[in-house]
Amino acid sequence: MAKSLKSFEFKQCVSIVKSTGKQAKNLRELRKLIAVVGDESIFHHTHQYFLKGHMLDYTNDFSQWAGENLEERALAERLTSIDPYTLKSVKAVRKELIREIDAFLKAFPEPRDITEGHEFYFNETVSLVFPVGVKTKNLAEFLVALEHIDTGCIYYHFYDSRVRLGEGVVDDFSRWIEHTLFKKNLADKIRAIDPFMHSIESIRNHIKEVVEEYVRADMEGVMS
Amino acid sequence: MINQYSGIAPKGDLQLIHNLCKKLKGKSFLHVNSTREGGGVAEILNRMIPLLQDLGIDARWEVIEGDARFFDFTKKTHNALQGNQEKFTKKMWDYYYEVNKRNKNNIDLKADAVLIHDPQPAPLIDFRPRSGKSIWMWRCHIDISNPMPGCWANLKKYVIKYDTAIFSVAKFAKSLPIDEYIVTPSIDPLSDKNRELTDYEINEVAERFKIPRDKPIILQVSRFDRFKDPIGVINAYKIVKNYNDCRLILVGSSATDDPEGEAMLNEVKDYAAGDPDIIILLLPPDYHMEINAIQRMSDIILQKSIKEGFGLTVSEAMWKEKPVIGGAVGGIPLQIVHGLTGFVVYSVEGAAYRIRQYLNDPEMAIKMGRTGKEYVRNNFLLTRQIRDYLSLWYINSNRGKHVIEL
Repeated sequence: MAKSLKSFEFKQCVSIVKSTGKQAKNLRELRKLIAVVGDESIFHHTHQYFLKGHMLDYTNDFSQWAGENLEERALAERLTSIDPYTLKSVKAVRKELIREIDAFLKAFPEPRDITEGHEFYFNETVSLVFPVGVKTKNLAEFLVALEHIDTGCIYYHFYDSRVRLGEGVVDDFSRWIEHTLFKKNLADKIRAIDPFMHSIESIRNHIKEVVEEYVRADMEGVMS
Repeated sequence: MINQYSGIAPKGDLQLIHNLCKKLKGKSFLHVNSTREGGGVAEILNRMIPLLQDLGIDARWEVIEGDARFFDFTKKTHNALQGNQEKFTKKMWDYYYEVNKRNKNNIDLKADAVLIHDPQPAPLIDFRPRSGKSIWMWRCHIDISNPMPGCWANLKKYVIKYDTAIFSVAKFAKSLPIDEYIVTPSIDPLSDKNRELTDYEINEVAERFKIPRDKPIILQVSRFDRFKDPIGVINAYKIVKNYNDCRLILVGSSATDDPEGEAMLNEVKDYAAGDPDIIILLLPPDYHMEINAIQRMSDIILQKSIKEGFGLTVSEAMWKEKPVIGGAVGGIPLQIVHGLTGFVVYSVEGAAYRIRQYLNDPEMAIKMGRTGKEYVRNNFLLTRQIRDYLSLWYINSNRGKHVIEL
């Protein structure tokens, strides 16, 4: 009797936003607070930005505030290019943010105050992780599930895993495909999808594409 | 009951509600506010309490009682917390406390979790039963980003005794020594205001209110209030009219407690006089289905406010896949992701420009409408708010953790 394969259990992450009560009304205050707020707050404003839908021209809340509220497009552009999933830790992300802001403040030492009500509000989150009741044993089931799960589910397995697993490079999907289904080529193709360059919906479509292509090629193959 | 939302609300939200209710099964959840009818809080509680009961939570909803003197005072605090200058005396604050003290005799405050809504019942925290490990949360539904300092200082004395405070928007939160969470308001997709309507229902409303449908309809639904800028909306429409034929509908409900409303309505009527393409409707406050139908027959929906709390009419319009334009105030920018789920504007000219853009590019309008509906589905439905309240209860039972596995 064949040994049963370990199934992939889909989980989801829901984040409840918690206010730190801290706010910045100009770039100097922002810089000062970035240096002292907890790791959870930096994590929320950078890594978790992707959970919000990644719908704007920015990749974190700081760059969005710099672009949309401070109207400092050059700074926004630089902050946008900080990739939290390439940097190894929240500490490294914080350091990069400070380095970019310091460089900007050196060139433009007198930042103006923002109009009232448009301050930057430092938040953090408490995340609840739960199984969504979907388990898959093979790629066909995986494809069907992928079509129907919420974006919070894809975020958990594709983005959050990179931080959760502490390796900074791997997502849950490709780990399962490589280590349980033993399909390294397919796992590598999923790993080649750049999390920084896509919305969650687009990640869903890309994964679907590569898995579908793999399954099709597999079915069309000639049995020897 | 929660299954009614299957296929409408995100699956994950419904799943988490189920999972949390399993963990919290049989426990009691008390909500206290100051009115059984009218207003967004009562609307949500009316729907939420039976849903929670159906899921095995011993949910209760109690309403504090007060006399005219009490409610006059709480109305003043409401205004002062939103930035108005009001006069208060110690005697007034003492009476506020006294009425709450009287209410504790009529309300069973024993529950595993207690959610007190808004300032009126806030002093009930002083009568928190000593026994047991109950969790007390204070939920602020109003904009207190810029309150009258003296008023906030008096209220804060009670707020800091709670385990947790909950605000609608991050900028409403204060620097407090207790945990503060952000829970945005929501719309109920199954209510008369938002449910799907048949063509027959929509046509019937169009006929009843004599709304011709021969040209594109631009709509704003809101009280006739200066802060909703109805005159600005007419001015924007007048600019558009130079380029595109269209019709403007302004719909508001008659608020008997708003003496300024009638004056504003008359001003709007005078300003619109002589233009047969401007329709002004004053509807009773319970004409939810009718407003739903008018929203659904419209082509573009505005909420051109110059001051706003959260502005849920924007989410209501987005839920109906309508392209929206909103003023950049209050919670409107949280609902409208500029250029993606709608447009945020800062002026009459800006509003006119965006209306013209929608009218001239119907494909873009359709796309934004669809994106907007998905955005509301993921962020502003009632099920998400229920999910958040239950999550906060559970988080409070697991304090100190940033990730909680269920």
